[in-house]
Amino acid sequence: MTLSSSSGGPDAAGARAAAISVASRARASGWFRSQTSRRLSFGYLLLAPAVLYVLLLVGAPFVFSLYLSLSDANVGDPVATFVGLGNFRAALESDVFYIALQNSIVFTVVGAIFKGLLGTTLAFLLLQPFWGRKFVRGLVVIPFTLPISISVLSWKWMYDSQFSVINWFLSRIGLIGSYGSPDWPVWLGQPHLALAACIIVNVWRTFPFSAIVLLAGFTSVPTEILDAARVDGTSFMQRFRFVVVPMIAPILLIGFLFDTVFTLSDLSIVYLLTQGGPANATKILPVLAYQVGIQAGALGRGAAISLFLFPLLMPLMILLLRNLRRREY
Amino acid sequence: MAGPRTHRQKEIRRHLWIYGLITPYIIIAVFPIYWMAITAFKQDPDLYRMDVFPLWFHLAPTWKHFSYLFTNTNYGAWIINTMVIAAWVAVITLLAAVPAGYALARLRIPGAENLGIAIFMTYLVPAIILFLPLARVVSMLGLQDSWWALVLVYPTITIPFCTWLLMGFFKTVPVEMEEAARVDGCGYLGALVRVVLPVSVPGILTAVIFAFTLSMQDFLYGLAFVAPGDQKPVTVGVPTELIRGDVFFWGSLMAAALMVGLPVAILYNFFLDRFIQGITGGAGK
Amino acid sequence: MSDLRSVQTDPSTLDRRKFLGVAGAGVAGGSLLTMLDARKAPAQVRGTTLRILQWSHFIPAYDAWYDKFAREWGDKNGVKVRVDHIPHLDIPARMAAEFAAGAGHDIIYNGSSILTRLYYKNLVDLTDVADQAGKKYGGWIPAARSLVEVEGRWFGLPIFYILAPMLYRKDLFDASNLKYPDTWELARVAARTLKPKGHPTGIALSQCADANLFWRSMFFSFGGTEADPSGDNPTLDSKELREFLRFAKAIFDEGMTPEVFSWDDASDNRYLASGIACWVHDAISAYRTTEDTNPPVFQSTFLGLEPQGLPGKRVSVAAPNVWMVWKFSKNQQAAKEWLAYLIDNDLEGMVQSRGYNMPYLNDRYKKPMPVIGTDPKLQILQDFPKIVAFYGYPGPSTTPIQEIVNTFIFPDMVTRVCRGKESIEESIKWGVGEYRRVYAKHKRA
Repeated sequence: MTLSSSSGGPDAAGARAAAISVASRARASGWFRSQTSRRLSFGYLLLAPAVLYVLLLVGAPFVFSLYLSLSDANVGDPVATFVGLGNFRAALESDVFYIALQNSIVFTVVGAIFKGLLGTTLAFLLLQPFWGRKFVRGLVVIPFTLPISISVLSWKWMYDSQFSVINWFLSRIGLIGSYGSPDWPVWLGQPHLALAACIIVNVWRTFPFSAIVLLAGFTSVPTEILDAARVDGTSFMQRFRFVVVPMIAPILLIGFLFDTVFTLSDLSIVYLLTQGGPANATKILPVLAYQVGIQAGALGRGAAISLFLFPLLMPLMILLLRNLRRREY
Repeated sequence: MAGPRTHRQKEIRRHLWIYGLITPYIIIAVFPIYWMAITAFKQDPDLYRMDVFPLWFHLAPTWKHFSYLFTNTNYGAWIINTMVIAAWVAVITLLAAVPAGYALARLRIPGAENLGIAIFMTYLVPAIILFLPLARVVSMLGLQDSWWALVLVYPTITIPFCTWLLMGFFKTVPVEMEEAARVDGCGYLGALVRVVLPVSVPGILTAVIFAFTLSMQDFLYGLAFVAPGDQKPVTVGVPTELIRGDVFFWGSLMAAALMVGLPVAILYNFFLDRFIQGITGGAGK
Repeated sequence: MSDLRSVQTDPSTLDRRKFLGVAGAGVAGGSLLTMLDARKAPAQVRGTTLRILQWSHFIPAYDAWYDKFAREWGDKNGVKVRVDHIPHLDIPARMAAEFAAGAGHDIIYNGSSILTRLYYKNLVDLTDVADQAGKKYGGWIPAARSLVEVEGRWFGLPIFYILAPMLYRKDLFDASNLKYPDTWELARVAARTLKPKGHPTGIALSQCADANLFWRSMFFSFGGTEADPSGDNPTLDSKELREFLRFAKAIFDEGMTPEVFSWDDASDNRYLASGIACWVHDAISAYRTTEDTNPPVFQSTFLGLEPQGLPGKRVSVAAPNVWMVWKFSKNQQAAKEWLAYLIDNDLEGMVQSRGYNMPYLNDRYKKPMPVIGTDPKLQILQDFPKIVAFYGYPGPSTTPIQEIVNTFIFPDMVTRVCRGKESIEESIKWGVGEYRRVYAKHKRA
């Protein structure tokens, strides 16, 4: 692909930025009388690039995927007929869908709990001054920086039924028997263990990030406020609950929402580890949607499965985000 | 004499406690990385042995898996593509998210709240369906099979998050600073450029780091939009050319992951302090 | 190959250079072009570009050879050829994206998941190429048709399939005086005998291609069928299914370990290479991996024909590989020329792939075949074309079958049985119900 034909995106963005500055200069010369209208038009100009980008590239395709979920489209036949909620009904007819829904929820909730626990405790530890802190901090963020499609493969190898290095250790310290004995865990083969194994990878990858976000939150709380609270005779937990948490709540919430949505829609971990097996024990909604909609080509039903959580998540997110926006911080 | 010694002892004890407590975290985080590293240097027959200590070499370590990457695949090009894509994504994200975040945080626009929420909502749209209509867009723009397609698409993931991140950040910049600047005849833009942006560097850096890491997490878009071997980003190139049918090139896979992950980790660490400042808007401190 | 030049339209421009540039759009009046550039045939394709999407083959050297081979053909014919590689499992996503975009490669490859029936309205009819190759090389093997034929036309060109023979440890069998696994019953006896000695067997019972392929081989060899010959109706529910599932449960209980629930396509390779397995049923990648990593085990590993289920009944479900040409391709002419040329040279492909690629044309099976004909252990592979079958046997690769394969219903049913938490009848009820549900949905559509 040549440079000339392909630089549309960034150039367009640059042009927009240029347009903003030109326009604002024009305004400065007195096009608008009132302060408010100046502020507003400036504001809309500033918003335009982000809103346009997202609207054009996600909004329009989103409408398209809504249409898909209400039609009997398949990947090779774009001329589809309207089937109403037929695809959603079809999803509800299949027990695999319920399994996937349940697994998705377990995956997200359990993952969030562990990310929260590990992240918070690690953040507290990293808050203490100690020798080598920066080095330790550097080590623990590595999981977050590796491309997920590749680091999952490393876990796949560690979970191997035969050559699992985890089992090797467990076996050496006597927690499990040797290879071939009945208590040798088959990580990706036992239903609950397999789901746990997928969650572990998700937690492993993201808890350093939670820790860093929390650490940032803690450091941002002015020491004077904490000292004042301490003088008032509050306990550590009280200080944490009533002083620290409210102050860092906005960023925590954004991080939490972002991570939840990503976890709910993430295909790669489960797809690369088990494809949803054995016997759907680790099937989650995005994997099922991908297999039905893309690999088997039933686009309409795939779209319905992947959009299933949308009506549930949207009001929840609106509620949380509104609450967050109103909060003065 | 006794005073400093007990102080030192206390310090040592405190350190031992902290090291003791933090070691499990380090092991959890780093062990898989170590395992990747040792796998990357092992000869293949050395991988399939359970009778010996698996965390060390039993045959001489080898560079074979690394050299395979550079002689038999386009690994060099993939790395460069990834970095260039990430850089462009960061630039586009900033150009869109900085003004938007500022406008939403400061300019009291009617409907700003709903607009901001709408931007965040885009995350709910599943990529597994989104990639089909996007394929159409990519091809209409003539970007198909070039990594520029990913430069176009990845900001849809980074812009919403960074807008909200920066929105929180701009709110912490004291309003008085801006007003003072405007009184001095700067205008809104002038106040933004001369006053707000300079104190917002940590926040902006945070957004950059985010854009960088997020653009290295995608697989599906890369797979669907970029097929030529020399145009792939490393996240797509590695799994697509080192997994062959039912044969995994473990050594090279791990080598490839490390060579892209570790430099980013170091870079990350370099910015971590500013990042920590930026993420909660430490400008006031 | 002049009969290939059947697509005719008027060139819309008189500028020769430009005309040549778009000639591959299938826009060529043959005679005019021959006049313009008579030096080298096929003239229509000169100056065009051909983009091919290929999988990442087991053997890296095969990909290197293929790319070079295609480029050289291109140089000879004045066509610029570009070959891209992605894993076969990711091809459906890529194909969906290309179709949605209406642009991408000219020639697209399908492996395992054969999507002809989903896309045939948008694929070029390759019947002429297929007929010609069939005439030239003694006809296609029977299974080929089921992959690509829709309403009597061929919308894809089968190029090779990947076999999964029995791979057994002769040393272990001999030491316990066991007969070689020529029937599934003998394979079961061997596993039962050798498992206590630390040498179980394994067939993946997870959601992976191996599980889809190999349990079906066993089921079909026990006389079962998945659909009727028309492909319109599922025929899973049968006496044979019950017999097969009872046998599957027995062979799992007696000869396997729960490891198989976690396996992916590569696990049985390692099982063999590590010297544990007494036998595995897998593509010869298992054999090659062992050759590279464990020479002593490799020495005593031998290959067997697909075991019989019912006496004399052998059905081997193989992973098919098929080429298709998009209708939106601007270079259908060159695409056809290249595919015809590729078929002419499929034996060379067999050599370069170290015997993985099994051809679909009868004449190719004249013994000795390259690579596998000269290796005494691999010779047996030459006898597979008569028993090879694909998903949906004995019917074609229909869209419901694609969904059933991609959502792993068949191996899941076997997994339920082998886990032993529910009765065989309960598992059958579930599996048959899922088959019906999928078929009903596709009928509705």
